[in-house]
Amino acid sequence: MSDYFKIEGLTFAYQGYGQDEEPPAVFRNLSLTLQEGGKVLILGPPDSGKTTLARIMSGLLPRYIEGELKGEVLLNGRSVPNLAPWELLEECTLVAQNPQEQLLMTTCGDEVAFPLESLAIQHPELEARADAALESWGLLEYKEVNPQELSGGERKRLLLAVTEAIGAPLWIMDEPFDDLDEGWRQVLKEKIKTREGAVILFASRYLDEFDPLFGSHYLLEGGALSGGDVKAKLAKVEGGEPFKVEQDLLHGEHTLKCNEVVIGHSRRSTDTVVPFTLKVDNFEITTGEVVALVGPNGSGKSTFSRVLCGLSSTLEGSVTLDGTPLNNQERLFRVAYLFQNPDYGIFLPSVREELGWSQRHTAPQTREALVGEGASLFDLSLEENPSMMSYGKRKKLQAAVYYILDRPFVIIDEIDSGLTYSDAYKIVALLKKRGAGVIVITHDRSFTLNLASRQYKIEEGEVVESGVGE
Amino acid sequence: MNTNTYIVGRGFLYWLDARAKLLLIVLLSVMVFFPSHYLALSLLFLLIFIIVWYSVGFKQSLRPLRSLLFIIVVMALFIPLTQRGGEPLWAVKGTVLVTREGVAHFATLALRLLIVTYSCTLYIWSTPMAAINLALRWYGLSYKGALTVTLAFRFIPFIGETFVMIRDSHSLRSASDSSQKERLRLGDLVPTVTSALVFALKAIPHLATTLEHRGFGSTLKRSSYKRLEAKGGLFIHFLLSVIILLATFVLLNSI
Repeated sequence: MSDYFKIEGLTFAYQGYGQDEEPPAVFRNLSLTLQEGGKVLILGPPDSGKTTLARIMSGLLPRYIEGELKGEVLLNGRSVPNLAPWELLEECTLVAQNPQEQLLMTTCGDEVAFPLESLAIQHPELEARADAALESWGLLEYKEVNPQELSGGERKRLLLAVTEAIGAPLWIMDEPFDDLDEGWRQVLKEKIKTREGAVILFASRYLDEFDPLFGSHYLLEGGALSGGDVKAKLAKVEGGEPFKVEQDLLHGEHTLKCNEVVIGHSRRSTDTVVPFTLKVDNFEITTGEVVALVGPNGSGKSTFSRVLCGLSSTLEGSVTLDGTPLNNQERLFRVAYLFQNPDYGIFLPSVREELGWSQRHTAPQTREALVGEGASLFDLSLEENPSMMSYGKRKKLQAAVYYILDRPFVIIDEIDSGLTYSDAYKIVALLKKRGAGVIVITHDRSFTLNLASRQYKIEEGEVVESGVGE
Repeated sequence: MNTNTYIVGRGFLYWLDARAKLLLIVLLSVMVFFPSHYLALSLLFLLIFIIVWYSVGFKQSLRPLRSLLFIIVVMALFIPLTQRGGEPLWAVKGTVLVTREGVAHFATLALRLLIVTYSCTLYIWSTPMAAINLALRWYGLSYKGALTVTLAFRFIPFIGETFVMIRDSHSLRSASDSSQKERLRLGDLVPTVTSALVFALKAIPHLATTLEHRGFGSTLKRSSYKRLEAKGGLFIHFLLSVIILLATFVLLNSI
């Protein structure tokens, strides 16, 4: 059988800007071969170069982001770096880790139809293909909805719908299971399993859903791919034991509670979709405990979190601390919220400045000590530029910021996105080190089973307590 | 201009064809710069505001006004001072500060700004982006040109929403107690704006690569997912637009 996709001796380094030394190479002499219809899983810890490799494979790098590439990347015998991206439209499709990067249009229907228009597919096939892909990912009723009004998981499904509509023989997927709920993970698993075309999937950790999808597994570390003992490789990537730290209830014992809360909003772009409402009759969390919040994509986990931390208001009911109602402003400095997308909270040119910004009103010595502690505990280098760090590492920086802030309650939205199990466990352990109550929003059952003592589930527009891992 | 994209609403403007509506908005925007009395302009603005209110609701209809408030206040402070010839309204120690003509000049300029902003905003709110793209192409703009315009309208509000998210994130990091609220908010504006700009700059290469990855640049003649459909015939829609323009012309010249 001939090699369908082949990487031979790939070396790549990003172009440095205003630095004395050139940035180090991301890959050195990396090679990979894939047969037609083959399915490959590439695991790698954050910052190992998974996203960079996925972009090189898709012909998107180097292009608008510059870098020096040596070696060969061949798809069906054609050199990928020498082809324009539009020439690869029918050959391969990339699903990016952060769906926001790949959304162009103002309705879901237009988003799916855009590449089909590029392929000059005419009506009625164009509409039929777009509708079929949207339906297949549960988004047909959102056809006229603006993608910016979708949840993170729904946006990921929209990208998967675009990928399915194009129907290219090679799918390159960067953490595609992240943000998807249990049900949609099974759908994606089934699609990969039954698909005739090839798949190259990048992930930070090994999920149960990966069994037995892939013909070959690789570990991407130190700029190279390694094969060999798969079990040992996976263990190396995951390091999946819950991280243990001593816990001090420095904040004392407090309970944050929702009493008969109702949250709601309507969509701006359409009135055909039922306006969103969420009822929270009885939710509570005490300092020092870890509670999981689970629910399908678009069920309102992030919206509920915004209410808990005071960024949004309730329609009815109240949020109380030890029985005393808190207004939005009072919740802002008691409940920390680590956004699903870490980039919303990161803006300064170095880790040192980023960590120090929230402490700018404290004495310099105290600030320096806190910044040093945060960087050291979360494995961050103080002089590193956050915008050049990987997605997973930016999430660690975001967590370090809130560790220093030391709020009595912390919400971590989609903790499993872009992190290894060990990193995610460590983040939760450190955030509760001083006795904070931690709410973990996740779609990964392993996290809830290993981390949470209680669990709340969003079901049919209501937050209800359920058994952990259910 | 407040450039939020399509908002679901009701009324005549949601029915009117995107091409006829574009002609109406452009000519209306030109017409308000013809010499007119500020009372006529006030009446026109009031009518437009009522249409916006009916179409998208009162709260939403105030948004463009809120965006322009700062500029209007600055205009109110400085324009009368630069136009001090005419009937004095306010003088301090013999120095005329405000005249009737100065106030009229300010009112005319502010109303023109409001009318143009509200008209263009209403067009964007009441017209799906795909229809705007098709309307621009119908008037002869190339696909690339129309896409550039519609992508700008897609990304400017996106950056605005990103700004809100970043501001929220910063307020979570800054919050300490309510007494410090206002001082911190003012002080935090610079890093919030910086973050939004960095976010926007980082989005540029992603936007460019995604466009190409989705086939933009291909030499194939693109098909079109959406089509413009004028219910009752395009001629009727243009006729209605012309009638509205004539009525506006009469209104502006009636005082």
